[in-house]
Amino acid sequence: MKTLDILRDANANLWRNKIRSFLTILAIFIGSFTIILNSAINAGVNDFMDKQISNMGGDGYLEMMPTEAYDTAMDLLGSNGVKEYTEDKDSSNASVYIKDEQIEKIGDIEGIKSFHVLANSTADYVTSDRTDKRYRLALNLVVPGISFDMSNGRTPSTEDDGPYEIAVNEDLARALGYEDVSEIVDQTIQIAVPSNLKCYTATKRSKCQTILDVKVTGTQAPGILSMGGSRGSLSLWNRINEINFEGMPAETNRSYQATADVEPDKIDEVKAALEEIGLKAMSVDDEVGMFRTFFDAILIVFNIFGAIALIAASIGIINTLFMSVQERTREIGLDKALGMSNGRVFFSFSAEAILLGFWGSFVGVIVSIILGTVASNLAHETFLKDFPTFTLTIFEPLTMIGIVAIIMLIAFLAGTLPARKASKKNPIDALRYE
Amino acid sequence: MTNALLSTNGLKKIYGKNDTIFEALKGIDLKIEAGESVAIVGKSGSGKSTLMHLLALLDKPTEGEIYLNGRNTSKLKNRKLNRLRNKEFGFVFQSFFMNANDTVLNNVILPLKIAGISRRERKRRAMEALEVVELDDKFKNKASDLSGGQKQRVCIARAIVNNPKVIFADEPTGNLDTATGEKIEKILFDLNRKKGITLIIVTHDEELAAKCKRQIRIADGLVVSDEKVKKGGKK
Repeated sequence: MKTLDILRDANANLWRNKIRSFLTILAIFIGSFTIILNSAINAGVNDFMDKQISNMGGDGYLEMMPTEAYDTAMDLLGSNGVKEYTEDKDSSNASVYIKDEQIEKIGDIEGIKSFHVLANSTADYVTSDRTDKRYRLALNLVVPGISFDMSNGRTPSTEDDGPYEIAVNEDLARALGYEDVSEIVDQTIQIAVPSNLKCYTATKRSKCQTILDVKVTGTQAPGILSMGGSRGSLSLWNRINEINFEGMPAETNRSYQATADVEPDKIDEVKAALEEIGLKAMSVDDEVGMFRTFFDAILIVFNIFGAIALIAASIGIINTLFMSVQERTREIGLDKALGMSNGRVFFSFSAEAILLGFWGSFVGVIVSIILGTVASNLAHETFLKDFPTFTLTIFEPLTMIGIVAIIMLIAFLAGTLPARKASKKNPIDALRYE
Repeated sequence: MTNALLSTNGLKKIYGKNDTIFEALKGIDLKIEAGESVAIVGKSGSGKSTLMHLLALLDKPTEGEIYLNGRNTSKLKNRKLNRLRNKEFGFVFQSFFMNANDTVLNNVILPLKIAGISRRERKRRAMEALEVVELDDKFKNKASDLSGGQKQRVCIARAIVNNPKVIFADEPTGNLDTATGEKIEKILFDLNRKKGITLIIVTHDEELAAKCKRQIRIADGLVVSDEKVKKGGKK
């Protein structure tokens, strides 16, 4: 018997028992729908993360700090358990900084295009003409060579002698009285910077602060990496550092942070080389990694649900086909009497199973694409409104085909049991069967 | 033995084991020549159906051999047996065995479909077979809409569609009234006379048996008589 004839007959047989086939297909559909939608969300999230990383200047951006500082931070977070005190392993980072010889060695590492040692700079608060309130400021530095995801305006200057400029995040812009965040561009806001030595003795905090007028160059688009922070120009950063350490010995004004722009394909080598000279480096990918791991865990749970649904659906396939074998016992007997081989009888039933798998997963793909696209559009108008670059579901054709193929394989495996039973039937007994 | 179409040698068939053991056939030696019309007659339980199943290669004997055109069939592989049944044999059953939900045409086509013949060719041959049983005008009808006699005619069409050498008929008129039964008998004997198809009919109907040129009587798993009436009769 020709394979095409068997497939055609198998399909016809499926529709002989419409309700039964429909229910089995429905069960497969539920499982495949869950898995397909998961994979689409997974693709959407990964795509968003990749965009975030490229917003951060691509895969070549590294942040580094002395390994000691990193270890101490981890120790103090408690993630390494209780540690014994030694002379060179205390509980503070006060004596830890990037040493001059380390800075020299950074320059020698192959693969680093440029690097910047970040001075320690802290501000007290930020305010504007439009509000009486003062807000604490999480200030970061604009890094040369790294582009940021700006929703309005431009990135602050990276020149050594440039103007005092800042890019604020959108929430801060609203708090400062700019309900329409685009209006804050080119406005001037005030940042209060403390002099640490004066503040040590000052009776009132305001006595030791210097107020700087800073021009806003733009607003930063919300993203998982830039959330909360605002970015100041290099000259602003340096000026704040100057004020912070006013009157203090130069030795106290040391940096424990640096950033580097690295050739993306050498990032692992560079990280290893930095490790050797005592610097712990983290790429954007490392930082996103946490979020990604967390998200992957959620998807795994949902995929397990999908897999359980598919297992249940497989039992449905087995049941459906056993009933079909039972009902068609005489037909099988006749087929075999007329010369159909065991193999072809087996195949005619497994073809039914494969078709059940195909229809279930195919409908799963179609419905997932429709609902996923609707959900994605809805999400853009509601909870993802602040993340315009986040597409909730992305349907990759190859993944879809792969999932359909795997489900067809599972259906085939489920169908082997009843198909075997059919193929083993003795034609005489089958013909006698009432 | 060489010139016989079908011959058997000490054929035994035993069902069950130990306490439930039942010897359906106790040693049958037969020769059937090409073109014969043979009635295998016996009461129910005599072993006549078992004999037919063995001759038709639907089942394997416990002991003994069956030769088809001089070839020992017990040495053939399943694939070869399937091919032989498909190409050389046609089957007509008492209770028809049709796919009731399918059309007349699709029922007749079945052996050709199993043989892997192309769609156009099998339709042509099925229509030819339906013409022989005068049902070509009903090829589109659902099998379940036909009368009993028509159903059996469709089954005959199915049996001859692959131009077999032998038709095995198991009580072909058992479920039909006398007039319809006679019509079916006429078709079968015409096929035997005109096309030289060997006819092997299993029946307990003496009238039908008498119309065959040879009657083999079976009782308790043994041949009790083997008569050829009208020896060398009209051909």
